[in-house]
Amino acid sequence: MKKLIIFLFSLILCGCSHDMNRREIDEINFIHVMGIDYSEGEYVLSAIYSSSQGADPEKGLAGDEESSEGRGATPFEAFQNLKLKNKKTVSIANTGYFLIGDRAASKGIDVCIDFLSRDETVKMESLLFIVKDMRAVDFINESFEKGQNVHEDLEAVEQKQQELVTRNDNTLVNILNALENDITCGLIPYLVADENSFLLQGYAVFDKLILVDYLDMDTSSGVNFIKNIIRAYPIYLEDNIGLSISYSKSRIKSKLTNNELKVMIDLSFETMVKEVNTDNNIFTEEELNRLTKMQNTYIENIIKKATNYSIHTGRDILQIARLMENQHNKKWSEIEDDWSSMISTIEYEFDIKSQITKSFILGSR
Amino acid sequence: MENRINSSWITSLFEKSQDVVVRQIKINQNNITVYLFCVDGLINQALFDEAVFRSLKFDPYLSHCVTERAMMDYLLEGGAYHVFTSEEADYQKLLKSVLSGMVALIFDSEEKAIVYDIRMFEKRSIQEPSEENVMKGSKESFIEVMRMNTALIRRRIRSEHLVVESLTAGRVSKTDMSLVYISNIADMNTVNKIREKINSIEIDNVSTPAFIEEFLIENKHSIFPQIMYTQRPDRVSANLSDGRVALVVDGIPFVYILPCQLPMLMQSPDDYANHFFIGSSLRIIRYLSMIVTLFLPAFYIAATTYQSQMLPVQLALSTQAAKQNVPFSSASEVLGLLISFEILIEAGLRLPKAVGTAMSILGGLVVGQSAVAANLVSPAVVVIVSLAGISGFIMPNQDLSSGIRLTRFLLAVLAALAGFFGLAIGLILIITHLCSLNNYNTAYIWPFVDVEERNIKDTLFRFPIRYFKKRPDEVAAQNKIKQGTKKDGQEG
Repeated sequence: MKKLIIFLFSLILCGCSHDMNRREIDEINFIHVMGIDYSEGEYVLSAIYSSSQGADPEKGLAGDEESSEGRGATPFEAFQNLKLKNKKTVSIANTGYFLIGDRAASKGIDVCIDFLSRDETVKMESLLFIVKDMRAVDFINESFEKGQNVHEDLEAVEQKQQELVTRNDNTLVNILNALENDITCGLIPYLVADENSFLLQGYAVFDKLILVDYLDMDTSSGVNFIKNIIRAYPIYLEDNIGLSISYSKSRIKSKLTNNELKVMIDLSFETMVKEVNTDNNIFTEEELNRLTKMQNTYIENIIKKATNYSIHTGRDILQIARLMENQHNKKWSEIEDDWSSMISTIEYEFDIKSQITKSFILGSR
Repeated sequence: MENRINSSWITSLFEKSQDVVVRQIKINQNNITVYLFCVDGLINQALFDEAVFRSLKFDPYLSHCVTERAMMDYLLEGGAYHVFTSEEADYQKLLKSVLSGMVALIFDSEEKAIVYDIRMFEKRSIQEPSEENVMKGSKESFIEVMRMNTALIRRRIRSEHLVVESLTAGRVSKTDMSLVYISNIADMNTVNKIREKINSIEIDNVSTPAFIEEFLIENKHSIFPQIMYTQRPDRVSANLSDGRVALVVDGIPFVYILPCQLPMLMQSPDDYANHFFIGSSLRIIRYLSMIVTLFLPAFYIAATTYQSQMLPVQLALSTQAAKQNVPFSSASEVLGLLISFEILIEAGLRLPKAVGTAMSILGGLVVGQSAVAANLVSPAVVVIVSLAGISGFIMPNQDLSSGIRLTRFLLAVLAALAGFFGLAIGLILIITHLCSLNNYNTAYIWPFVDVEERNIKDTLFRFPIRYFKKRPDEVAAQNKIKQGTKKDGQEG
């Protein structure tokens, strides 16, 4: 009886092996980077993967890259087309970066996100970037022409992003979560092509899942301050004094009276002096107090750029709607329908506190 | 005449054995003749001359003994110049004593003998343990002589409750064994059960370890060791103090400890020789190594054959790159290398030490590197199998190490057949099997199945000694207090 059970068990396992997507790892083309575009009435997917000879183990991923394209009426159809064109099985299971072209984003990001999120193998921590004023495929092709390694350059972008902020909000899972709420505006970082690298310049703004605008760097930083995700940030004051934020914490509170909304932003941060190109001694109490006030004003101006943008455009890029929902749950249901008109009327109050720390350990001035 | 103590019968019984000596000795003028019966090479010659022969020939009091009975009484009451002297009337027992190295004086008319225990045969000196070496702590290890081994234990436990029971097993070999336990701590049911099992051994020869182990273990089909062996007397004494039972077998240079649980096999004497933080860290490394050696090859097969999406991006791409030009499947590579690894180990054991080292270098480095260069295996597989192999040898118990090595083949095959699904089934089978094992009324994976705070202090972690207040619940049936204060006046 035992032998029979073992035999049956083995048989079941053997049977299973034919229906379990058995595929050796070297028979798969892992897409490192995928671009999604909309062009001439159809979606274009461009995939970058290691060349058919495989990445050079000594070079790691710095080996040769290849790209291929697939076209279709929907991203799924385009992906099937991409698969057909490839000699090996194509998988987005290990895709680390998705680049969405300007036109695809303007048509609506929901189609792209829906396609990606329904793939059971896709990594939810993959990063999404918008390519500013370009198609992703052109962006990739240009990089190839310049001899860049797209995957490595995107890794560098990710590292730079992590140096500045405490968390990446542009992961697939975070974007899915953010886009669920169609009252607030979604923000996804955008890239621009520099001479030999990619630059992360700020956030692309999505209103009702459609790309509507690009924020400049300062406004995007203002958003990051309010979102409390700043890890480091440089401050340039007069007299060639440079400081760097080493710690930052923000708290947002709201007050709703007679349908008038007031949002209080409390920010406290610490800085370290990084550069002093003046003959004046700045390490006196009065000078440090003066510098503290100056850096408060500097950061307040940056934050104001974000709040002013929200007021002027009526776009809830600071996601105040979520704050309202949490802090004034009962009243929120009353004002929810008029929210878009209320955004421009929000009154912002700032309370910025800071101090300069650990600045003069070695220097005499 | 058969089965009676008689010199003629014994002489005829051993007439073809040159090493067995039956010699006639006339004691005094009363013409009393006794027969000396011994095995040449097993006795201490000097002691024989001094304690037996000299006294028989020159003791003046023997001339007053007019009968054999009187002579026997005199010798047994102090006339014999040796403390280990006894009367034997049982023919079978006499044969066993003499064949194990004692000397007998046969008194034909009485059909009895006096037995002198003056055994001495060539033996190893006490050396450092070869398997359980420690940086700090005792360097003594057991040898092949049972009595020396029991003495080593007795030297560490000077309690009147320490019992050393003599048993014999093997119809032909008549191997001596000693069942050692502390009578006021050990569970007597376990002691009785072990005694019964030994007495029920009905095979000719029990001189090799597997013969004894197979009779003593309760789940004979399990590849996980259910009996612990150790070369270290300090380890035996610690386990005896916990209420376990030791079995010392003549001719085997280690001692068995029963009942055995899995966590015991993961413990090393070093754990108790170091600070408890270091001891705990070492133990955690051992458990991690067990997981690595058991699952890593199977995990690699599953991840590279079925669920490559589980690998992080960088790892997937570098693994893929490493495997590009290898013509074999991941499963074939891993299983092939695992088998090669076992062959290397086996060859290393069989060869002389000097050649073995050279062979390991040749096999491990040269052939491994050449295989990678020839694209027969990918470098990743070499790393995986090497890591799994090395991790397997971290196990303090070689039986456990062997069991785990065999189990990882099963898991690798399951992973090759069904990926992580197969691996999960394998894991469930292993856990179910381990949970089902019962060893002398104790669960094999105790205390993991019956988690109580006081019992887990010496499992994954080694708590400070002051926390070991009680003996293990499962084994110490009588006296559970292990640590008291001076005021308590308690003894184990």
